[in-house]
Amino acid sequence: MLPLSLAEPMVPQSIAKITGKDEVRRHLAELGLVLGEEVTVISALGGNLILQVKDSRIALDRELANRIMVRG
Amino acid sequence: MEVKIALAGNPNSGKTTMFNDLTGSNQRVGNWPGVTVEKKEGRLKGDRDVVIQDLPGIYSLSPYTLEEVVARSYLVNEKPDAIINIVDGTNIERNLYLTTQLIELGIPTVVAVNMIDVVRKNGDKIDLGKLGAALGCEVMETSALKGEGSHEVARRAAQLARESRPVEAPSVFDGSVEHAIAHIEESIEGRVDQRFLRWYAIKVFERDEKVLAELKLDPSLTEHLEQHIADCERELDDDAESIITNQRYAYIARVVSSAVEKKQSGLKMTTSDKIDHIVTNRVAALPIFIVVMAAVYWIAMGPLGTFLTDWTNDVLVGEWAVEGARGLLEGNVADWLVGLVCDGIIAGVGAVIGFVPQMLLLFLMLSILEDVGYMARIAFIMDRIFRKFGLSGKSFIPMLIGSGCGVPAVMASRTIENERDRRMTIMTTCFIPCGAKLPIISMIAGAFFDDGWWVATSAYFVGVFAIIISGIILKKLKAFAGDAAPFVMELPPYHAPAPSNVLRATWERGWSFIKRAGTVILLSSIIIWFLQAFGVENGAFGMVENNDNSILAAIGTAVAFIFIPLGFGTWQATVGVVGGLVAKENLVAIMAVCYGIAGEVSEAGEEMWGILASEYTGIAAYSFMVFNLLCAPCFAAMGAIKREMNSPKWTLAAIGYMCGFAYCVSLMIYQIGGLITGDVGFGVWTVVAFAVLAAMIYLLVRKNKYGEYGERLSERKAAVNA
Repeated sequence: MLPLSLAEPMVPQSIAKITGKDEVRRHLAELGLVLGEEVTVISALGGNLILQVKDSRIALDRELANRIMVRG
Repeated sequence: MEVKIALAGNPNSGKTTMFNDLTGSNQRVGNWPGVTVEKKEGRLKGDRDVVIQDLPGIYSLSPYTLEEVVARSYLVNEKPDAIINIVDGTNIERNLYLTTQLIELGIPTVVAVNMIDVVRKNGDKIDLGKLGAALGCEVMETSALKGEGSHEVARRAAQLARESRPVEAPSVFDGSVEHAIAHIEESIEGRVDQRFLRWYAIKVFERDEKVLAELKLDPSLTEHLEQHIADCERELDDDAESIITNQRYAYIARVVSSAVEKKQSGLKMTTSDKIDHIVTNRVAALPIFIVVMAAVYWIAMGPLGTFLTDWTNDVLVGEWAVEGARGLLEGNVADWLVGLVCDGIIAGVGAVIGFVPQMLLLFLMLSILEDVGYMARIAFIMDRIFRKFGLSGKSFIPMLIGSGCGVPAVMASRTIENERDRRMTIMTTCFIPCGAKLPIISMIAGAFFDDGWWVATSAYFVGVFAIIISGIILKKLKAFAGDAAPFVMELPPYHAPAPSNVLRATWERGWSFIKRAGTVILLSSIIIWFLQAFGVENGAFGMVENNDNSILAAIGTAVAFIFIPLGFGTWQATVGVVGGLVAKENLVAIMAVCYGIAGEVSEAGEEMWGILASEYTGIAAYSFMVFNLLCAPCFAAMGAIKREMNSPKWTLAAIGYMCGFAYCVSLMIYQIGGLITGDVGFGVWTVVAFAVLAAMIYLLVRKNKYGEYGERLSERKAAVNA
């Protein structure tokens, strides 16, 4: 497992774990970020990421990206 | 029969476009009770018995954001007769997450698969029949942007609302979860509206605090149900809420795989991604942003904007309105009435109207950036920088708008979910010089600094530094402690701006600026005109010849001492400051009146530059300018702050903070700056100024005592050690 912030761009990853407060996890789930879901890092700006989740683009900051673990 | 239809959907699903298309100009905009989320209601074009209630854009019915709370309580408590659920067809899986929750409410629902034109262009196929059968509701296709299908959807929804047939929710959950939910349904039947039974049961399963508090189940039943839930959690090795979420997504994946045929699956770089690779690029992002912003301000404030402003000021207000009214009134009514109408009301209100063209132009540019999708990227780019001093990238958008007018800027802070971040943004956003503060800057630059370009530039820097310093200082207070909320935001794909959306957004922002011209400013123009025109002269009360004898002068003289340490303790400057609270652009005109300049003055008050230069030193003038830039904004903006803070305590805190901060900064500029330039001698106030400087530096560099939840870090450390 490695944090999403370290995942290689443009390679689909499977979410293994999301840590942190419930309300943030709930919001991530609403946006489609749930266990087992496939995400791809589209671009990175100094640790802040743009992801593809399902058919949408989600921007998140480095701290949040560190809380999402992928299988790698 | 009148029916109520709620319009629900994800942000960026085209909901606003469809709402505008369905209702046209039949809209009423207000606020949801108790919160500052915008509430839009309208009547369907062609069938005025159908009321369409636009709900805020939401991702689900869980109460994470204010918008979700509002939408959820509307649907459950107000019970609309039908729901139109607008779904982005190009992102159907994520959008259906909300759909499954809406259907569980048992309200007749029509799903409008929007952006169908883009879906077709991508070569994808959506089988509406299959989708409808799986979801247990009506599914239709629309392209709101092209005006296709929206009205058919609304008509169908109205029809369903009038039939009011019971709705059969699809079975989303399976195995022990479905069993547990069915069991909860049996237990709470009769306690809730029959239609909402399934929704309540699922919420009980999720242990939703609001629903549990509402139902007030007796402890033995709660415990019994809790066992069922705990059994499920053990069996599936997950918490109840995640179980529901996962099964929902699993169900949606099954539905989508049977009803949607994608031409291209998996990863593809869209045009939007390619643009993002450039505009959010590590190196290029900031330069591109600066160029875009420079272009926006050049158009709004440059030759075109200036031309429009000059024309409005000189021709529309100056020649037509003032002189027209004077010609009409003179000789027919008393002289004082002519003065009141022409010099008081029209000149006062006119000064505000003069800003409207520039303001509208700026808001037009910003609305285009927003509609195109670039605004969301700006928040993303700026987040990295703003986070360093405790603000989120989302705080940047209010500040951009604030360079036009503080009122819509304060209102734009609504999009910030976290309450602490929102309050801090409201408190600091008015530090950015708004359009109405520009005449003050040009007056000072012209009268004292030979029109130096650096004066205006430094004014913006003062504003930015005020925000940064405030961010750092406030974050160390208990009320604001903790990091800015994590940044997560959907980036809509770039698309060409839709003229109707852009114009509507421009107008809504501009209108909040114009509206005050007719209310606050009209009233205060009248009052100030009376105060400066009347007074005691030669032992009798009446209209005064010499302004120094007016009531206004008396009031100004009485409170002017407050500003002596700042270098501008004259009654004229004091009255100017007070006038600036009414409307910042009024300050120049009011000071001109105070200095007895007869007739119309130019925007920057060129006629009194000579007097000013002889009355004040350069450093005092600069201190005066900074004070007016940073202190409490105009009444209209203060009103906006009051509405958005929604609490007298916080409103006072915000305005008090701005005034106190402005006083401290101006004091330091005048006393310490004056000492350096030799304009001010060493005295008690110099000592005070240095003390303030030391205090500010201490507040900036001291250690943060509070953790994320406002708890004292020292206590936590002690607990850990123990």
